[in-house]
Amino acid sequence: MAAVGAGEVSKLAVLFERHHRSLFRYFVSMNRNRELSEDLVQDVFFRMLRYRGSYDPQQSFTAWMYQIARNASIDNAQKRRAEVIGIDEIGERQTEPVSTAPGPEESATSNQNLALLKRALERLPQDKRELLVLARFQGMKYEEIATVLSCEVGTVKVRVYRAMRALEQTYFALEKEIAS
Amino acid sequence: MTCDESKVFLSEYWSQTLGETQELALEGHLAMCAGCRAESERLGTLWRGLSLLPAEEPSANLRTRFYETLGAYRHGLEASSKSGSWIQKLAAFWPKQPAFQMGLSFALLVIGVSVGYGMRGVDKNDKRDAASEIATLRDEIGGMRQMVALSLMQNQSPSERLRGVSFANRAESSDTEVLGALLRTINTDPIINVRMQAVDALHTFGASPVTRNGVLQSIPRQISPMVQMALIDLLVDLRDKEAVPELRKLSADGALIQPVRARAERAIERLQ
Repeated sequence: MAAVGAGEVSKLAVLFERHHRSLFRYFVSMNRNRELSEDLVQDVFFRMLRYRGSYDPQQSFTAWMYQIARNASIDNAQKRRAEVIGIDEIGERQTEPVSTAPGPEESATSNQNLALLKRALERLPQDKRELLVLARFQGMKYEEIATVLSCEVGTVKVRVYRAMRALEQTYFALEKEIAS
Repeated sequence: MTCDESKVFLSEYWSQTLGETQELALEGHLAMCAGCRAESERLGTLWRGLSLLPAEEPSANLRTRFYETLGAYRHGLEASSKSGSWIQKLAAFWPKQPAFQMGLSFALLVIGVSVGYGMRGVDKNDKRDAASEIATLRDEIGGMRQMVALSLMQNQSPSERLRGVSFANRAESSDTEVLGALLRTINTDPIINVRMQAVDALHTFGASPVTRNGVLQSIPRQISPMVQMALIDLLVDLRDKEAVPELRKLSADGALIQPVRARAERAIERLQ
């Protein structure tokens, strides 16, 4: 990115090849729309060009890129504010899973359970889903996530735990829905 | 370590990135607290499950679009740096010493006054002729601009088409040929950036009813929600209240994705 900032615009292609897939996965996880996600990936790379002067080589490039991605996503969400983002608080209303219920640990790797897990993730409130996507899919360090979300590292850790609890509750709620 | 303290370290424990001291303290707590241990095992399984979810892959079209747009961007940069260097060369003639700067300014002033004085004798007829020549020249430039815009918008290269659209931006608002070409670009160009720029250029032609009809017909044909939303925004920018009935149809059109329908609804509210 330092080279792009110094005027070597063609070097942006290197960054594109390195990061476009993970950015695409981030956007798809957030908005569940492939075409819109491709548009947003494109938007992120051209925002990088536009704001290349603001990049600080001392700062993590990944954190900077996801700050841009997040802004692009927020700008887009403002444009489509009425969109429903999952069934929020469903997990909050569910009770703790009882110990006799079959736990995800028994067969979490089966395709069916992965599909259930994917649906549970999609149903999470956007802030929780974003946190898990950044931490788990993008492999970002908590320090980088804290930069992206403008909060303390400790806050990120606590939020990740809460997001996992919400994911578990949503997962079990879905499992019950399917069973009934 | 308390139960609450242990929660902070759980995700790093599952990822095996926890420091040795903290890991020992956490394991000590988990060994003693059955509730936390059971929770850690359950959530840890889901945590590992997340990494097994298949990754969505973008289409090959994304790469094509990126390189085309990057090419267009570089082309634009090169063009602007060329014009920049011309200005720099001209600026190099300007002396650095304040005394010379003053001298040169005075010389330019004298030349300007002399030329003005010399032209004082030009009579009114000459002025009229000059005005008509200027009008003719303006027409010719307008025609050339139109020709360049139309031919560039048909070019194979997306960067040339982008240039064509920017020429179209400077066309006369009554130029129906350019308006038609812009609408064709919006409906048929495979590159989203070209289509988006063409939508922007339509602002110039806002007064024409052809623009509204063209925009309304184009929205359901677009495959990109971004372009659809830009077209809806254009109708709002143009304060086109007559578009409300058609926007109502769009807001109820099940073939459009929900954000676009919501956008149409908001456009109706703003126009009303």
